[in-house]
Amino acid sequence: MSVEIHALVGPYALDALDDVERAAFERHLRECEPCRLEADDLRETAARLADGAWSVPPPGLRDNVLAAIGNTRQVSAPATRSARPVRRMWVAAAAAVVVAAGAAGAGAWTIQDQRVRTAQATAAQEARVRTILTAPDVVLREETLDSGGRVTVASSRLQDAGVIMLSADGAPAAGRVYQTWTIRAGTPSSAGALGEGQSAAVQVIDGLPEANQVGVTVEAAPGATTPSAPLDALVELT
Amino acid sequence: MAEHGRRDHLRPVPASPENPEPDAGSLLKAVARGDEKAFGRLYDLVTPRVYGLIRRVLRDPAQAEEVAQEVLVEVWRTAARFDPERGSPTAWVFTIAHRRAVDRVRSEQAAADRTVRAGAASVDTPYDEVADEVAVRLERQQVRSCLDDLTELQRQAVTLAYYQGHTYPQVSRLLDVPLATVKTRMRDGLIRLRDCLVPA
Ligand SMILES: [Zn+2]
Repeated sequence: MSVEIHALVGPYALDALDDVERAAFERHLRECEPCRLEADDLRETAARLADGAWSVPPPGLRDNVLAAIGNTRQVSAPATRSARPVRRMWVAAAAAVVVAAGAAGAGAWTIQDQRVRTAQATAAQEARVRTILTAPDVVLREETLDSGGRVTVASSRLQDAGVIMLSADGAPAAGRVYQTWTIRAGTPSSAGALGEGQSAAVQVIDGLPEANQVGVTVEAAPGATTPSAPLDALVELT
Repeated sequence: MAEHGRRDHLRPVPASPENPEPDAGSLLKAVARGDEKAFGRLYDLVTPRVYGLIRRVLRDPAQAEEVAQEVLVEVWRTAARFDPERGSPTAWVFTIAHRRAVDRVRSEQAAADRTVRAGAASVDTPYDEVADEVAVRLERQQVRSCLDDLTELQRQAVTLAYYQGHTYPQVSRLLDVPLATVKTRMRDGLIRLRDCLVPA
């Protein structure tokens, strides 16, 4: 994966990554100095392409913008870099319900899009979910949640990715959230936490086939760094 | 380093003394301190490119106007976050604009994929004739000639992504070339473009 991911610097600079890959690459940028320098450099070049798109702005725009900034509070300079919220990677929260159609197995799954889109739930992400769910080697596993509901995990080695689909009967108590974990060789790492009041989510996980298990817990909002016992569900992948 | 000589003849015409070119960096710094007058000047400097770029990606003028307004207000709101270590002020603005335009076009794309004429990436806008400012013409001409300097595949990969908002897998399908090739052409296309363009 690591050799592969450096190669995304060109598409990244052109905004040609979908949201999921963009988030993965931005994580990589925090660890990879050469990619960071090259990304800044290529973004600078890509932005020059705006020179080629010059167009006369509509007449009313200036007044509208100047009026809008009068009512817009400015942010102050960042003192410290705030940690990225863990739930950023959640895709299409409460938007997609996975339905098993016909015999279980490859390609037998469809997504019913309820058109309740969150800002992050872009077509690109949905396409990625579909690609994984329809991969010829996809393996599906499902467990019930102790709190009520179910968690389904789809995993494809060909895509080197998987999808965790959580559909609980209801949201946890106030101040608590669902959180999922990938567990590799006994070590859990957070795959993301839902927002308060959320009970369903579909999440794409790069490299999921490397994990042995997927766990679900209920944690204090906005999520924990290590899972607390007892697990709400544990899905065995191997 | 040898390239520098080649770049010289492309250097932009210097701003005339009676119309000094405003410096986006100091304008942005003043904007970060809440200077609305500086914002007005920054607006005039960047908006034709912000609006043009968004319109180019979205095609629809009404939507482009809406997104352009969001972007310009975002520039005002987050001016303090601009980090000069990481790039130029104009690149910062156009990066915000491009990202917003692309996010919008992809959410619009949900059901019906837009029809695309691969390779027909004209650099013209309907307002060409209005853009008679020497510096602007020159910059645009430069981008155009530098794009022409790329290989056909590099040029198509770069322009399909940047001007039409396609992801690299979409570009790969449109051009019928492998994913790995598209990634590489995007990268080496940008590198070649960088070496051709005069620093902004
Ligand atoms: Zn890297």
